[in-house]
Amino acid sequence: MGTFVLEATGLVKSFGQTHALAGVDLAVRTGEAVAIMGASGSGKTTLLHCLAGIIRPDAGQVTFRSGAGGVDVTGLGERERSRLRREAFGFVFQAGLLIPELTASENVALALMLNGMPRPRAEEYARGWLAALGLAGMEDRRIGQLSGGQAQRVAIARAQVTGASVVFADEPTGALDSATSAEVMSALLHSTVGQGRTLVLVTHDAQVAERCGRIVDVRDGRIVGERAGAGAAPAAGPAAGPAAGPSAGPSAGPEVAA
Amino acid sequence: MIARVAWLLARPGRAGAAALALPVTAFAIVTTLLLGVLGGAQSFWTWTDDIGITYQALAVIALVLLVVPLLSLGGAAARLSARRRDDRLATLRLLGATPAAVGTLAVLEAAVLALAGALVGVVGYFALVPALGLIVFRGEPLGAAGVLLGWEALVAVPVGVVLLAVVSAVVGLRRVVISPLGVRTKDEAPRMHWLRFAIGAAVVALGFLLMSALQVAGSMLVVFAFLAAAFGGSLAVLNLVGPWVLRLVASGQAKRAKTPARLIAARLVLESPKAAWRQVSGVAMTSFMAVFAGTGVAVLGAIGASPDAEMADLVVDLRTGIIITVVGSFLMVACSVGVNQAAGVLDRADLYRSLGMLGMPVETMDAARRRAVLSPLRITAIGSAVIAAVVMLPITGIALIVDPLSLLVIAAVLAAGIGVVWLGLVATRPVLERAAVA
Repeated sequence: MGTFVLEATGLVKSFGQTHALAGVDLAVRTGEAVAIMGASGSGKTTLLHCLAGIIRPDAGQVTFRSGAGGVDVTGLGERERSRLRREAFGFVFQAGLLIPELTASENVALALMLNGMPRPRAEEYARGWLAALGLAGMEDRRIGQLSGGQAQRVAIARAQVTGASVVFADEPTGALDSATSAEVMSALLHSTVGQGRTLVLVTHDAQVAERCGRIVDVRDGRIVGERAGAGAAPAAGPAAGPAAGPSAGPSAGPEVAA
Repeated sequence: MIARVAWLLARPGRAGAAALALPVTAFAIVTTLLLGVLGGAQSFWTWTDDIGITYQALAVIALVLLVVPLLSLGGAAARLSARRRDDRLATLRLLGATPAAVGTLAVLEAAVLALAGALVGVVGYFALVPALGLIVFRGEPLGAAGVLLGWEALVAVPVGVVLLAVVSAVVGLRRVVISPLGVRTKDEAPRMHWLRFAIGAAVVALGFLLMSALQVAGSMLVVFAFLAAAFGGSLAVLNLVGPWVLRLVASGQAKRAKTPARLIAARLVLESPKAAWRQVSGVAMTSFMAVFAGTGVAVLGAIGASPDAEMADLVVDLRTGIIITVVGSFLMVACSVGVNQAAGVLDRADLYRSLGMLGMPVETMDAARRRAVLSPLRITAIGSAVIAAVVMLPITGIALIVDPLSLLVIAAVLAAGIGVVWLGLVATRPVLERAAVA
């Protein structure tokens, strides 16, 4: 385990009279899977949003470290944080929240196109990731034509296709039955920590949390406990997942997907 | 049971007051415009001389022109009030509420909102009466007393608006009742047939023939009947062919799109070409009318030096009528774009918020949404102007259509129409910003 990729100190956040976060310190190592667990209203989603630079805490600091050095996420303006989320982070939400009018591969390619990659290449990467996640042959389906589990795997592909170093997942299995939930968790873990990337996951489901390397319990806006999860080193991830972001250059070459 | 559930559903959700205010505002505007037009036109029926009949015929044409977009705005508002609850109603269905209970709820809510809007609209009409009275026809103002409607109309119009809302709600929600899962997962892939195009072409050809025959028609009544048939037929064609053409163009755009905004915009249109068409069909109507009006003004210019005072009055009044009709139809287009856009953003608030979290700039979301309206709008405005020109060709002759004056009027009307829609889009951007950031 290497350095801390995310480091939060003294996070405080209130919404009106509600104290969502009351002084949270949390450090996340590169390549680690951390589950933030708690009941609804415990502040776990607010913590995730602060870590990911979606909202700014009232007090405290979040530092993100990448190859290019450390960035004080809390000190960045709206535009810079938006750009950071686009380029360095990936997101998976409970309901998938994919654009229903787009096809599976377009939804994934969109993440790359937002960073300026030309569409043909973006779609090629997208197809590679979808195939690696077991969705070969479904690239041209619209989201409504996919099952909940399949849609969630599209969301995982979207979160990973840019080569995001940290993936944030907010109840990624919340809308799925337990069998599908296990499958989606496997896909999520394989495509993140299995590739040496970091996963920060929010859940209220103990079974889901157990699969991560570390579990952090949150109650009333504070971290009240921390333990190791059963999540051992995951097996080999998506076999030949195109593990490249826009900066990686066209190493794979424009091979046409069959 | 229904009353209690209705109350639960009526509480403002996250969409808040805006979701209630929108349909009410739209119904209010529909009512005000409808009453205003009726009030203005009623004075024509007090004239009993020969030329009075001409005025009445012209008024009927103007009324038809205004009533059609009024109905579609009313329909849009009703759909909005129904769609706003679509999701919750489908959930209710899944929970086991009977189709009858679901239907009753939707109808109840649409009717209440429409009634509230219609009452506001009646107040709006009374506020408008003094201004309406200033409009000059046959050389003198109509006068406030002249445009004041009797109680029959004041009751009939709001009742009609409420009925319209009820019918739209029933039609719009039939899908929910039939297939709750269909609405919840949005998995229908709409298809359109080329047959639409063939029928459309046939009707335009028929319109052309009708107008050609006009030159040999004798009586004024026959002329008006032919005009109305050609006009109504061509409008029907526009409605038939419009969605089909939009789908064709958007599918090409989706394949070629290079930026996220262009891709999303094209897919938005492809998802429901009919909905895309509905948003801009008011402009189709206006640009269709612009060609009619443009050639009309050109004809008037040609005979403008008429020594006959009655004829000179008619020429001026025709211009007034055209302007009122165009302004009214623009107002309705602006309203329906605003209603549709705000509803669309509210419907997708969760999605917009998640896209914001992913780091998609609000500008990109806004550009996609704008393009999804403006691109069909361009196709529609030009397409319907061309159809109108083809139908009008026999009576005015190509010489008049290429006459600079008429071209200028057409161009001005098209530009104003597109500008109004653009304003409608700009006006709803704050709604998007709130949804994306919240």
